[in-house]
Amino acid sequence: MSKKVLVVDDDPDVRTFVITVLEENQYTPLVAQDGIEGMEKIETENPDLVILDVLMPRGSGIRLYRSLKTDERYKTLPVIMLTGIALRSFLKSQKVLAEFKGGEVPIPDVYLEKPVEPEDLVEAIQKKLG
Amino acid sequence: MAVETILVVDDEEAIVRLLSMSLRSDGYSTLTASDGAEAFELVKEKSPDLVITDIKMPRMDGLELLKTIKEYDPDMEVIIVTGHGDIDSTITALQYGASDFINKPVRDEALSIALARAKEKIEIREKLAEYTLDLEEKVKMATEVIRRRANFQQLLIRSSNDGIVAFDSNWKIVVFNPEAARIFEQKASDVLNKMTVDELCPESMAQIFKSDIAGDDEKNLRLPWEETIFRINDNTIPVRFSRSVLHEKGEMVGSVVFFQDLTEIKKLEKDLLQSERLAAVGQTVSGLAHYIKNILIGLKGGSYVVDVGLKKDDTNKLKEGWRTIKKNIERSSDLVQNLLTYSKEREPEKTNCFPNEVVSDVITLVKDYAKENNIEVTPILDDSIGEVVIDPDTLHRSLLNLVSNGIDACLDDENIDKDWEITVRTFKEADRVIGFEVRDNGSGMDDDTKAKLFSPFFSSKGGKGTGLGLMVTSKMIEEHKGTIDIDSTLGKGTAFTIRLPYQTVTGE
Repeated sequence: MSKKVLVVDDDPDVRTFVITVLEENQYTPLVAQDGIEGMEKIETENPDLVILDVLMPRGSGIRLYRSLKTDERYKTLPVIMLTGIALRSFLKSQKVLAEFKGGEVPIPDVYLEKPVEPEDLVEAIQKKLG
Repeated sequence: MAVETILVVDDEEAIVRLLSMSLRSDGYSTLTASDGAEAFELVKEKSPDLVITDIKMPRMDGLELLKTIKEYDPDMEVIIVTGHGDIDSTITALQYGASDFINKPVRDEALSIALARAKEKIEIREKLAEYTLDLEEKVKMATEVIRRRANFQQLLIRSSNDGIVAFDSNWKIVVFNPEAARIFEQKASDVLNKMTVDELCPESMAQIFKSDIAGDDEKNLRLPWEETIFRINDNTIPVRFSRSVLHEKGEMVGSVVFFQDLTEIKKLEKDLLQSERLAAVGQTVSGLAHYIKNILIGLKGGSYVVDVGLKKDDTNKLKEGWRTIKKNIERSSDLVQNLLTYSKEREPEKTNCFPNEVVSDVITLVKDYAKENNIEVTPILDDSIGEVVIDPDTLHRSLLNLVSNGIDACLDDENIDKDWEITVRTFKEADRVIGFEVRDNGSGMDDDTKAKLFSPFFSSKGGKGTGLGLMVTSKMIEEHKGTIDIDSTLGKGTAFTIRLPYQTVTGE
């Protein structure tokens, strides 16, 4: 059975794009429009990988990422960040959050900045899922 | 000066001696003379305070002495000693200005009464003289103080940085300082006491001043106004003015207006606005970069999907990819247009148009998209609004922005039980203002979002917004001298109200 990959992004264009990439590479795509829906899908569908946007209106990617990395069940679930936010800004937000809430979270396994080349995305997914 | 020295005049030595003794015992010092000539010499030499003289005397008699003394010093008191029934002499003495009369033989009682009367007279006269002198001094001092004060006030008015114009109760100009002369480009000599408010000021301004007198709205009086003055040589000057009605004992005696030249301030404001805007565009580069990245991934992703569609001959993929590409081309062109509008000065291009029609056009544009998302868009139009002169482009773009925001607010609403709707209402306000209210019952905003709403490149729409829409709208409204207000409650919805001033088609 092909592996399940969840795309969490509020931009329908990105979802269409990533879904197509996943289908082309024989993965099963799952989609969510924001962080809250993303968490629901993770709990119900149990994906093998999450591709996560950072800035979304409801339940941002930052929050979802933190919830996953501090949750025993999902600590090892691989996450690819796919966002327009520069890595530097993302790391800074993590640092601020760590100071504010306590508890360091590991930096994302893979951090891809939009716009991403389809080949780079595929390579990152394959590396994670083997 | 009290009475100290008394001159006693009589040709009868016994009487002189007796009188002198009596007076000395009362504490006066005395001088004596046996006739008028001798007495007058003593008057000149010793200046007694009082003279008591008999009438009948050799050489110069008492009446002659009285006359001489009065000619020499009209203020000297002379008491005449007369015999019984000597009416003629008494009358003559009165005419010559005698102070008092004592009948012969002189009794102490009569003497002391006459003396007391004379003393009183002298004292009153002295006091009067003192008062008069004092009064003159005081008037002189007061005049000097008044002169200095008047000078100071004159100087104050002359050197004021405000143009000061004062009117009397007939609206004639009575104060017109050099700054006022500069602002109005009129010579004080041509204006003062010659022109009235109607000849100097634009009609609308004169109207305001006159309504000050009629109205008793104190608060209104203190609010400064801004207006443009058209000068003789056809150039204009922006001014701010504040005014007061002058009252004296409860009665209106005139009014005064203070003018400030705003030319420099307006220029600075404009420069500031322009530089703020440029800075905002600079600030945005990072915010914008995010948005542009989203457009790019849309284009890139779209082409990938099209490639896949072509490769597999999959029409659905082709359509989907092509739609994505088209949408992102649209987004980039909107972005460029908004950026250009925002960063440049733009004069509203006012022309004849029907505001209600603009509203209908905007609704037609968004109706289908709204319907797809179960959102009803309804116009509520005030039919009394006909053709007016405004910039239709400003109105169209502002309304489109606000209605689109309303749709987004409904889409963003988590309460899916609501029947979402957006109303666009037009209404007329006094003073040539038309209002447009765009109301949605979508997600609403919290105070934090409301506060940041008009700040550069703030967006509450995640990656979907540039944060330019409302900024561009508020800038265009501002350039049209209109206002935009917001009323929003989290969970309940939002209403934006635009107010635009207009001119009538006939140019009134």
